[in-house]
Amino acid sequence: MTTAPPSTSPPAGGGDPPEPLPPRRPAAKAPTRPSHRLRYGLVGVILVASFAFLLVKGLGSALDFYLTADQAVAQQASLGSKTFNLEGTVEPGSIHPTPNGVDFVVASGSTRLEVDNTGSPPQLFEVGIPVIAVGHFSGSTFVSDQILVKHSSNYIAKYPGRVTAPNGTKR
Amino acid sequence: MSPDTTTAHPPAPAVRTSWTVRIVGIVALAATTITVWLGLWVTPPDQVQGDLVRLVYIHPGLAWVALYLAFGLAAAASLLYLWPRTRSLFWDRLAASAVEVGVVFNVCTLISGSIWGRPTWGVWWAWDARLTSTAVLLILFLGYMALRRVPAEPEVRAKRSAFVALFAAVDIPIVHFSVLWWKTLHQGATVLNPNLSPTIHGSMAWTLLLGFVALTLVFVWMLLVRYRIGVLEDWLGVGELDVALRERQAEGATVDEGEAA
Repeated sequence: MTTAPPSTSPPAGGGDPPEPLPPRRPAAKAPTRPSHRLRYGLVGVILVASFAFLLVKGLGSALDFYLTADQAVAQQASLGSKTFNLEGTVEPGSIHPTPNGVDFVVASGSTRLEVDNTGSPPQLFEVGIPVIAVGHFSGSTFVSDQILVKHSSNYIAKYPGRVTAPNGTKR
Repeated sequence: MSPDTTTAHPPAPAVRTSWTVRIVGIVALAATTITVWLGLWVTPPDQVQGDLVRLVYIHPGLAWVALYLAFGLAAAASLLYLWPRTRSLFWDRLAASAVEVGVVFNVCTLISGSIWGRPTWGVWWAWDARLTSTAVLLILFLGYMALRRVPAEPEVRAKRSAFVALFAAVDIPIVHFSVLWWKTLHQGATVLNPNLSPTIHGSMAWTLLLGFVALTLVFVWMLLVRYRIGVLEDWLGVGELDVALRERQAEGATVDEGEAA
């Protein structure tokens, strides 16, 4: 690709300055007609838009990370003993430690579901917090071996009285 | 900078760092320091998360820079390159610099999020829509960087890179809205939520805001430095190519000479 053009006469001497470089590229191509460009642009836009549309709508709920407790109970027959992620808010007063883990009840809408977890839950686990249990149905209880704690996007000071100034100084 | 006429090289770009870059760097450093101080010592612990909340001053800011500033800028610059009336290699180099810095911030977003996720959620990683789409974004822009290393004429490379950047940018709104469109482990937006009413209060909000400003300044500084490196690289690259071509030519001439003798 970068070899010198075949020369008919050999160079006179070794000390000659190198020949000027050949142009690196052929002359620019004739510009595409605007109508063509517009058509390509439109095709591109349609492709990208349909890709996004497919990703959002086509995959739909397949991208959901969990089923809420009421959804899970409604679909219990089809779920069988399949493993899935169950979400619900921990009911007050329902947490009982067991020999190999913890028992509690999650609520979602008007549905209440007993969860029997093996292993200790994360440190933020407590009543009134939405959690995700990884496991499967066993009769009317949900048997799980992992708890994930969902936290909200609300941030509120633990001791609101201590911080009053908006500039971040503590009183 | 004096014009250099003795070699094939075009004159070197200014070698010294400009004062703008230095001042941005110093301000970025100061803002980051104040954010760290406010975030670790001044702000209160959170009702639910306790001290773990302090990651909020860094993690969303990193994501903000990666997604919206860096990759958003790369997409805009790529569009401006493809638009015939604004076509210039300036936009191509800007997009390449923004992507590179954005990839660094994207990696930092994933790492800081993972560190936050382990104690709060209980896992380092979950395949929910937010986390997965963010990882896909990183892979897409790593692909962009790989594509740029494929040897090609600068204009050809610029054009194909611009198309890939625009394709990859489709994932940006998907990452942003993933927490609304699907059920995710990741929490929703605190500041840019649908009601646009930030659910963070007092000194925590101010520190969060300062964190965004600080990381934005760090991004601007890195972008300016990376852009300059790009200019110098291109300048060196052009010279190297000329040198290589001359060497090949000289080799060809020597061979011809040998055959003729």
